[in-house]
Amino acid sequence: MTSIFDSLQQSLAFLNLDLFMLLSLIALLGGTVIFLVMAVNALVAVYFERKVSAFMQDRLGPMEVGILGFKGGKKFWGGIGQTLADAIKLLTKEDILPKSSDKFLMILAPFIIFSGAFLTFIGVPFAQNIVISDFNIGLFYIVAMSSIGVIGIILAGWSSNNKWSLYGAMRAAAQIISYEIPIGLSLLLVVIVSGSLHLGDIVQWQESNRWFIFHSPFTFLAFFIYFISIVAETNRTPFDIPEAESELVAGWMTEYSGFRWALFFLSEYANMLIVCIVASIVFLGGWLSPLHLINIFPESWYILDGPLLGLFWVSFKAVILIFIMMWFRWTFPRLRVDQLMYVCWKVFIPFALANLFFVSLWELIF
Amino acid sequence: MSEYLNNIVYGVKSFLTGMKLTMDHFRNKKELVATLQYPHEKWPIPERNIGFNHSEYNLIRSRLHVDIDDCIACMQCERACPVDCIKIDSIKPPKGSEIDCGMTSNDTQKKMIVSRFTIDMSECMYCNLCVFPCPEDCIYMVGGPNAEKHEIDYEFSQYKRDGMIFDFADTTDEAIRDAGGEKWLDQRDATLTKHNDGVQLKGEVKSVKPEPTAAPIKTGAPISTTKPAAQTTESSGELEIKSFNGISDKMCRGIAKKAFMAAKRAGKDAVAILADVAQALSEAGKMSDEIQSILDRLSVSPSKAVAPAVEAGGDIKVESVPDTPEAVEMKEFDIKDLNAIEDKMVRGTAKKAFIAAKRSGEDKVEAVRKTLADAGKLDAAAEDLLNSFSGASVELSAPVEVATLSESAEEAAVEPKGDLPLFEISDLNGIDDKMTRGMAKKIFMVGKRAGKTRTEVIADLRLGLTEAGKLDDATDAILNKLKSEN
Repeated sequence: MTSIFDSLQQSLAFLNLDLFMLLSLIALLGGTVIFLVMAVNALVAVYFERKVSAFMQDRLGPMEVGILGFKGGKKFWGGIGQTLADAIKLLTKEDILPKSSDKFLMILAPFIIFSGAFLTFIGVPFAQNIVISDFNIGLFYIVAMSSIGVIGIILAGWSSNNKWSLYGAMRAAAQIISYEIPIGLSLLLVVIVSGSLHLGDIVQWQESNRWFIFHSPFTFLAFFIYFISIVAETNRTPFDIPEAESELVAGWMTEYSGFRWALFFLSEYANMLIVCIVASIVFLGGWLSPLHLINIFPESWYILDGPLLGLFWVSFKAVILIFIMMWFRWTFPRLRVDQLMYVCWKVFIPFALANLFFVSLWELIF
Repeated sequence: MSEYLNNIVYGVKSFLTGMKLTMDHFRNKKELVATLQYPHEKWPIPERNIGFNHSEYNLIRSRLHVDIDDCIACMQCERACPVDCIKIDSIKPPKGSEIDCGMTSNDTQKKMIVSRFTIDMSECMYCNLCVFPCPEDCIYMVGGPNAEKHEIDYEFSQYKRDGMIFDFADTTDEAIRDAGGEKWLDQRDATLTKHNDGVQLKGEVKSVKPEPTAAPIKTGAPISTTKPAAQTTESSGELEIKSFNGISDKMCRGIAKKAFMAAKRAGKDAVAILADVAQALSEAGKMSDEIQSILDRLSVSPSKAVAPAVEAGGDIKVESVPDTPEAVEMKEFDIKDLNAIEDKMVRGTAKKAFIAAKRSGEDKVEAVRKTLADAGKLDAAAEDLLNSFSGASVELSAPVEVATLSESAEEAAVEPKGDLPLFEISDLNGIDDKMTRGMAKKIFMVGKRAGKTRTEVIADLRLGLTEAGKLDDATDAILNKLKSEN
C-alpha cells in the first residue's frame, strides 16, 4: 500500500481479471489521473503566470473572460476563463505541416516530449504514498525520464526544416545536457547524506533530522544551484535562449501550431511542476510541515502532518517555487549563449563538485 | 580568481536587486496598476482652459442636452443653429380642446406639444449659439459647469451613424393624435417607411444585368432577337453618361464622359453631344475602332424614333423571356410611380397601401385602387394613373409590331461579335483545388486588367493551368462551360 498502483491492484482484485487486463486497467486509470493533473496544472499555471507578469509590469492581465458568466474578482483576479478559452482555441486551430518538413518526425516529436513529461510523473510523489508507482530508485528515474524530452526537441527542430527551429533545437540540447550535470551533482549530495534514492526515504530522513536545505551550508548552496539549473532545464527566462522570441521566432516550436503546439505547452508546464515538486521533496521536506524545519518541537505539535495535509504541503511548496520561477522570468533579461554556458560550466559545476567534496567531509566529521 | 569571485558576488547582488524591484511592483499593484478597465471605468472629463471663464463658456468636449419638459417649442434654437442640426416639430392643440401641455419649471404655460426634437450631434459644431436664445434655459451643453444638471458623457460612441441623432421628444403617439397631429403622424410614418425601404435595398440599386450578347451563336428565332433587343434598349434610350461605360479603356472613357458632361451642360442635343465626344477623343488621339463603333451605335439610336424602340425592346423581352425577372420589372408598378399623384394625403394613403400589398404579395394596382376608393380619394387623375398600369400588363401580352422587332434585331446584328463581356471572377469558384483556383483567379485578373475578351482569357487560363500541370477534368469542364455559357 505504498503507491496508487499497489492500492488499485488490491482494490480491483475482486474483479477477478487476469493479470494483463488488470494491469492495463490500472495503467489507464493512472494515466488519466496524470493527464488530468497535467492539464489542470497547465490551465492554472498559465493563468497564474499571466497575472504575475501583468502585476509585475503594472498591468492587469486577462480580466474579461469568465466561466459561465463568472469572471472572478472584480479588481485584480478577473478573467479566470481565459486559459480555458485559449485551450479550446488551440485545439480548434488549423494544424499546419510545412510542405518540406519531415512529416513523420514532425508529428512524432511533440508526442516524445509529452511522453517524457508523462513518464516522469509516474515516479513523482504528490504526498506520502500518493505516487503512481513507488520506485526505490525514484530520484534516478525522474532525472533519467526528464532527459527524454531533449530527443523530442531535437527531432522537432530538425524535422521542421527551418533554420530557426534547428538553431533553437541545438541550443536547447546544449543547454539541457549541460545543466543536467549541476542538477545531478546537487541531487547526488542529498543521496550521499540520506543514503537512498527512494524519495520516501529521503523525506523520512528529513523527518528524523531536518530539511535538507538547512542541513549544512553545502546543501543550502546545493539547493540554489539545483533551483537555478532547473529553470534552465525547463527553458524558462532568463535561460530561454532555445525559444528566444526576439532572435529565433519561437525556436524549435516555430513551425508547430494547434494541437501539437498545445502539447509542447502542456509538457513545458508539466516539467515545471515536476521539477518544483522534486525540489520541494528533496530539499524542502516534501510532505512535512514547516515545523520539521529544525525538529526541536515536542512530538505532539506534529498534528500538521497527515496524508491530506501532506498533499497540501507538497503542492504549497511547489506553488511557491513555481511562483519564484515566474518571478525570475518577469525580472531578468535573457542570457547570451556564452553567458549561459559560463554560468553552467564555470560556476555551477565547480561549486557543485566542491560541495560534493565538502559535504562528504561534513558527514565524516559530524 | 578574485575577478571570478567578484563576478559571482556582483551577479548575486544584481540578482537580488532585480528580484526586489519586481516584487515591489507585484506587492504594490493596487497603487501601481495603470490599466483603466475602459468600458467599466472611465476617466472624468478634464477641465480645459480655453481662455474663457468656465462658468460662462462651457464648450469642453460635450454634447447638447434638452430638458424636454421645459421646452415650449419656440423654435429659437432651431433658428439660431448655423448648421441646422436641430429639428423641432410641434403641434398646437385645436382651440377649445381640454389638452394641457404642461408647465415649464419657470412656470410658463406651454401651448404646444413638441412632437419631435432631434439634434444631430454629428453635425453640431459646438458653437453654443442655440443655448443663449432659449427663454426657458432648457437647452444647454452638458459637462463643465452643467455637469450637475446631467451626467457627463464624453464618448459619443454609437454603433450606427443614425445613433448620433438624439431624439429628446417624449410625447406619445396617442397624445399627438389627441392634439390633432394625425397628419403629422402620417407624414412621419411615410418618411419612416421610405427610410426602411431604402435600408432594405442596402445601397444596391436594382439594375438590369447586362446580358451577354452572343446573338449569332444561337439561331432560335425568338430568343436571338430578344437579347440584342435588351442591348438596344440600354444603349438606344436616352443618351446618358452610362452609355459610355462600354468603352473599355479608362482614359478614353474619362475623356468621353468629360466631353459629354460639358456638352450636356451647354444644353446641346444628343447628336451634337456625340459629335463633341468624338472630337474630344480624336483630339486626344484615343479614337479607336471600338470606340467608333460605340459612338455609331449611340448616334444611330437617338435619331430613330426612340420611344417605340424602347417599348418594343421591353415588350419583346417580357413576351419571349417571361422568366427573366429584371425584364418584368421594367414595366413593374413601382412606388415611385405614385409620385404622380398630386394630393399629398392621397399619395400617402396610396403608398401605404402599395407597401402593404407588396409585403403581402397581392396585386398592387388593385390594392391601391381599392384602398383609395375606400378612403373616397379615388379621383380621375389617380384612376388614370392606375389604369395605365393595369393597361400595361394587358399590353404586354399583345403582339409586338413586327417592324420594330426586325429593326432591333438588325441593330443587334451590327453589334461587334468579339466584344463579349468578361465573365465574373466568382465563376471560377467552382474549381475545387485551392491552389488551382488561386492560379486561375490570378490569370483572370491579369487578363481583365489587360482588357482581354472572354475567349482570350479562357485561352490564357487553359494555357497557364496546363503549364502548371493543374488542368484536370473538372477544371476543363468549368472552362468549357464558361466559354459556351452565352
